[in-house]
Amino acid sequence: MENQKVKKINLVYLLSYIFVPMIICAICFWLSATFFPKGNMAVILLMGPSFLSFIWWVFAGNFLYKKAQKKLEKELDESGFVKNHTFYGDGWTVVVDIENGKIALVSFWNPFEPYIVSANRVTKTWVDDGKSGFGIFEGSGRVSFLFTIDDTKIRVNTFTSNTRWRMDSEYILTGISKADMMVEVLENARKKVN
Amino acid sequence: MGFIRNIRSVFHDDWCKECKSEMEVKNKRLYALPMMVGHYVSHSEPEYYIKNVTPVNKKAEIPTGQYACGIIAYKCPECLHEAVKLSVFLPVRDVEKYEDAFLFENGEVDVLIK
Repeated sequence: MENQKVKKINLVYLLSYIFVPMIICAICFWLSATFFPKGNMAVILLMGPSFLSFIWWVFAGNFLYKKAQKKLEKELDESGFVKNHTFYGDGWTVVVDIENGKIALVSFWNPFEPYIVSANRVTKTWVDDGKSGFGIFEGSGRVSFLFTIDDTKIRVNTFTSNTRWRMDSEYILTGISKADMMVEVLENARKKVN
Repeated sequence: MGFIRNIRSVFHDDWCKECKSEMEVKNKRLYALPMMVGHYVSHSEPEYYIKNVTPVNKKAEIPTGQYACGIIAYKCPECLHEAVKLSVFLPVRDVEKYEDAFLFENGEVDVLIK
């Protein structure tokens, strides 16, 4: 796990997440059209998979991600990992052990493969405040901290919005503060092992 | 004139609540609060600040993502009324993101300004 290459996306999981419910729906629709064009069975075959697919797409990702977070935390507690800082992002969970110079990660799109890596594999850390535009149009809709493990760039959002906010808005400032803090934490962990 | 001044004083924390004159800054102090960004809880009781703040000399000494507490003591040159303003903020680079401000007029947090 220490020297493993960090994979941001598990392609099989991502494709299954999107297409398996669609395939199941298609099979059920075909069964309904071919064998049960009318009656209760038709309603079940048409509505059931559609409803379950909707539930799957809306809730399953977060459910599996939360389970992966809890599993990782349990593993870390058992292994003596000191959780100095934990950041729960929407795409990544990052746990930093400054004392031993270690970083634990789990990705939303790769929840079955958590990573614990040495902080000396972190090659670069920085903050992206997402600032764009100028004058009264200057603002941002996303703030994140980024770091590279070997050559894999990991972006963890500290604030996201579908609206653009002024750079001095409380949301952007909070996001920047969180991102600055996490970059400092990662740098401290890196210094510990270098 | 007095009526307009009364209205204006509502918008100025540093104006005397007794005689509506502009108060003088007597002393200033900066403290770090044991709260990190994303975990702020508002506290209006002075005891919380007396027990939990850590003195710092300048903003740069406050770790990134940690809340700070600025305390300013005012004294009215006209009626000698005293007040202490306590503001809680998050230092973010060169900006301060204010969360709360409290005015103590009965010496509740005087121990922090001495």
